[in-house]
Amino acid sequence: MIKGKGNWCRKASQFYLTISLSSILLLCGCAAKMAVTPEVNQMNHVDFQIKGKILYEGNKEYLPRTITEGAVPGDGISFQYTYEAIYGEHDIPDIVAWVNPLHLAGFPTGENTLIIRGKLDILKGKELIKSYTATCGLEKTRSLFWEGETYSSLRKKGLIAVRDNIEAQMKQDRDFLYKLPIGN
Amino acid sequence: MKKSTLILIILTVFLLGMFLLSCAPLGPAFQKTDAIPENMGLVYIYRPSKGFGSGVAYEVKANGVLITKLHNGGYYPYFTLPGETEFSAKTETKSAVTIDVKAGETYYVKGSIRLGLIVGRPRLLVVSPEVAESEIIKCKLIQERK
Repeated sequence: MIKGKGNWCRKASQFYLTISLSSILLLCGCAAKMAVTPEVNQMNHVDFQIKGKILYEGNKEYLPRTITEGAVPGDGISFQYTYEAIYGEHDIPDIVAWVNPLHLAGFPTGENTLIIRGKLDILKGKELIKSYTATCGLEKTRSLFWEGETYSSLRKKGLIAVRDNIEAQMKQDRDFLYKLPIGN
Repeated sequence: MKKSTLILIILTVFLLGMFLLSCAPLGPAFQKTDAIPENMGLVYIYRPSKGFGSGVAYEVKANGVLITKLHNGGYYPYFTLPGETEFSAKTETKSAVTIDVKAGETYYVKGSIRLGLIVGRPRLLVVSPEVAESEIIKCKLIQERK
């Protein structure tokens, strides 16, 4: 009797282990992929800022933290930050997803892609002194059992990654930026 | 009454019910709005007519507030204040896109329905004016609001 119960418990634990591992494998495959260019060493924290007039009306969270609003007499330094988001999606036809047993096993039925491009122009009057750009590509797959992150969530991740990348590029140019007319 | 007749009646009533539910309150064909109120942006939410999932309509919310029910082949013009606005729709899964709306600008959010486990899943996508203008022209105004 006890031996029978032990076998049952062992089988149940093997079953749960199999299910758990399969779920982990499936979910790992569904995580969003992200790549940012250019490749730079990320900053651990923002330890310098340059002042100027900021020409940007969007969410301040996405603005590089290496720039800050400051008094700009005459033709002082100004920062113009812009970004764009390009959306895309690829789907397997629904009828294929219905009949293909692999999709019923959790294989992807489609993917969402998002490209975020950010650009920071540093201007003195109307003259462009320096320009920083960064691009972030995001991709996530979907399955019948897993929809994954929304475009809103991907967009936010992408914009923050682009911001961090521009900050890191600016840190590399720190000496140059400190020499700007009103730079710190 | 024979069992097969009863099944047939139930099936007919069910299909009729589904058909009536899918009848969307759609109005006139697409007309571009030229007058955007001052200090507001315009977002067209539209869903091209498709055979698959045509009976499923879903609610679209802007920053969590219900704005319309998106029917197959319908469009809805939504005026909003500038700033980040999240458009979302949900059935068995959620789809959401965020637009940083600027005053006087026009944006397009395309809705569709994809295969789901129990019910069709909504899909929202920000599309360029070039793509949207060729698709929305075939859509009709959703007259039902909320």
